[in-house]
Amino acid sequence: MIIKKGIGVSPGVAICQAAVVDAEDFDIPLRHVSADLAQAEITRLRQSIVLSKKELQDLSKRTADRIGKETAGIFDFHLTLVEDKALLKKFIDSITTEHVSAEYAVATVLRGYAKEFLAMPEYLAERVKDVYDIEKRLLRNLIGQKRQSLSHLQQDVIVLAHDLTPSQTANIDRAHVMGLGIDAGGATSHTAIVARAMGIPAVVGLNDVAAEVTAGDVVIVDGNRGVVVIDPSEAAIADYRKLAKQQVEFHLSLDAIRDLPATTQDGHEITLLGNIEFPDETESVIANGGEGIGLYRTEFLYLGTNSEPTEQQHYRAYRKVIKLVGNRSVVIRTADLGADKYTQSRARIPERNPFLGCRSIRFCMQNIPMFKTQIRAILRAAMDADVSMLFPLVTNLLELRQAKTIIRDVMEDLEEEGIEFRHDIPIGMMVETPSAALQADAFAREVDFFSIGTNDLVQYTLAVDRGNEKVAYLFSEANPAVLRLIKEVVRTGQRQGVPVTLCGEMGGDPLYTLLLMGLGLRSFSCSPPVIPEVKKVIRSVTMEHARQVARRVMSFDSAKETVNFLRAELRNVMPEGLMD
Amino acid sequence: MAKETTEVEVVNKYGLHARPAMQLVELASSFQSKVEVSNGTLSVDAKSIMSVMRLAATKGTKLTIITDGQDASEACQAVRELIESGFGQLETGETDNMAPQA
Amino acid sequence: MKLADIMVYQAIIPRLQATTRDGVIAELVESLADAGAIAKKNTSEIVKAVIARENQATTGIGKGVALPHRKLKQVKSPVGTIGLSSEGIDFGALDAKPVYTVILLLSNPDDPDGHLQAMETIFKHVQRDMFRKFLRQSETREAIIDLIVEADELG
Repeated sequence: MIIKKGIGVSPGVAICQAAVVDAEDFDIPLRHVSADLAQAEITRLRQSIVLSKKELQDLSKRTADRIGKETAGIFDFHLTLVEDKALLKKFIDSITTEHVSAEYAVATVLRGYAKEFLAMPEYLAERVKDVYDIEKRLLRNLIGQKRQSLSHLQQDVIVLAHDLTPSQTANIDRAHVMGLGIDAGGATSHTAIVARAMGIPAVVGLNDVAAEVTAGDVVIVDGNRGVVVIDPSEAAIADYRKLAKQQVEFHLSLDAIRDLPATTQDGHEITLLGNIEFPDETESVIANGGEGIGLYRTEFLYLGTNSEPTEQQHYRAYRKVIKLVGNRSVVIRTADLGADKYTQSRARIPERNPFLGCRSIRFCMQNIPMFKTQIRAILRAAMDADVSMLFPLVTNLLELRQAKTIIRDVMEDLEEEGIEFRHDIPIGMMVETPSAALQADAFAREVDFFSIGTNDLVQYTLAVDRGNEKVAYLFSEANPAVLRLIKEVVRTGQRQGVPVTLCGEMGGDPLYTLLLMGLGLRSFSCSPPVIPEVKKVIRSVTMEHARQVARRVMSFDSAKETVNFLRAELRNVMPEGLMD
Repeated sequence: MAKETTEVEVVNKYGLHARPAMQLVELASSFQSKVEVSNGTLSVDAKSIMSVMRLAATKGTKLTIITDGQDASEACQAVRELIESGFGQLETGETDNMAPQA
Repeated sequence: MKLADIMVYQAIIPRLQATTRDGVIAELVESLADAGAIAKKNTSEIVKAVIARENQATTGIGKGVALPHRKLKQVKSPVGTIGLSSEGIDFGALDAKPVYTVILLLSNPDDPDGHLQAMETIFKHVQRDMFRKFLRQSETREAIIDLIVEADELG
């Protein structure tokens, strides 16, 4: 049994067999193959070896011709690996005695070697790369054009990978992926966001889980504590099964209040909305009792593909959401690109500090034609619908005014072209930096609504990268500085008649619901699966209680004090809301 | 049918890394006899590169060579010479782009 | 796109005569016509159109800058000019302060991307404190041109 610690990014427990995925999107299925089909698998294996040998011979020759014999040596080495008779015997033994597919045999045998090599002195351990290379090559030639991918799985699995690209994450087979364990990534990576949205337990930042697991191993993913257990003991499985059962029971209890209003005991109405990344998730928002979409993160339209989405593609996505949401409201946030790995990896000159760099609205204002495409689609899609536009990461007034100037220009174009669009679309801004929060009164005069993005607000205010394990402990939404900023923004909104919604993870954490209501927030947008939990808290308390909690909390000096106090409060209201 | 055995020490700087391993496998495979190499804990088939790599033989490792078959003594001798000579690599100056980068 | 690609050097006015918003717009449009960037016969229509747009929403985005602009069929490709006023003009700016630098941009409606790229360029430089400051302090056309060239070089 191996226990690996990472960062829990999506709550829940999953106990399942592992499917290990590499960057080329290979899922190694544990395919049981009956004895009489073993021969066919062996034939496939041999064919793959023949193909792989030929490829390597070609590569070796071409490289020798073009660059030199020395460099071609690596392909000769791979060739020797592929021709290894002992290796072939191991593959065949695996197929015939374990009754598995050729892919599975290749993956398990080679990963077995890889594990051994990893334990060797450094320069010998380097050869593990070659082993992975051989594996990829053999698998590619086995699977050929028909790739087993994450989007069509045969059975329930927990997916483990070094990293998942946005398109892999986006295309996950939700019916079969029970959990995620990823080496890379932080708490706000797209994997984390998507996992939460899909309600799949997930742990990231595991460092090298993919190398230590063999496909088919039983694995436990504990998204609450951020732990992945490989090949768990009987005792561990029993414990986790119990935990999982408790969670299921709790969620069933929440079903009862799904269609009830989010109103406090003393009659105050709270608006509960959902955050989505993909149009399809809208259904989940409504199914969980959300009253609308408080945040549609549109960057996935860009991240999931190789080329920039067209205006029609944008438009179709937005109309789909609008259709699914009926006559409920939708807030579409313009693309928050630039700080993500994928934009950075495609940039000509990657930024040193993308988090503080050309991202979000800045990125759009430096790529106005691209920005325009999205704006046109939003304006057109908003016809006869309750749609608002939201700008991410606005930090100064000039920037906001320039963005609005562009909106006006785009509207003019549409008028010229005689295309229908929503003229009076409300325009809001994310408040997610100290500068935006501290100047909220000036901004309030120029926007129609605020959306407090606590994920980034906390990071920028505390100067902490939540995904950096060395300092992640400093990240806390309960930090007094953050709470003061939130309070100020809410107050300003009230004074100037600007509606304020809180759309970061904090809004979906039942621990903070009382506090946030007490500070004056009346609108939350969160991940669909947690809407019912937040609603339960709301329905179980009075606003008076919430205000008292807020008053107490604002007198505390530390996040720790606040969290302890809030936990005690939540224990009285909804003990199952405390998941560890 | 003969069986031969001998001991030899790995002398080259980076031990039995990729290139030497390949050379060993190639040489061992040219003989009809079975060729086994052991590092004291593990005994492997010298005609299989994956197996040879598992030896994790670094400089100074003492290896035992066991050959069994018609050409056992030739095989044993040849393999020993190969390892003793540092696989034909000079200790310094030889470029080998499959050796670990400094 | 660089500022140099948009700005019509001959039309730059280091000392605006007009003291009102509409007057300034007319002066800048006339200046472009005098420089041959737009046809003389179209000037009054163009002036009316720019003012009409300005009435809909002020382009005085604060920090003493106004960016009147309009897409018009009479204009072939994006052309612009700069006018400076030391006394300050009331543009009904968003920060309620006077405007000292007016950057006029005229584009063709059939090339919306060209227009947006021109806006992007202008915005980018206007955002820089140093650019705004030096621009406002410029006394002659040559000084303004030098500033434009330097700004383009900075990227």
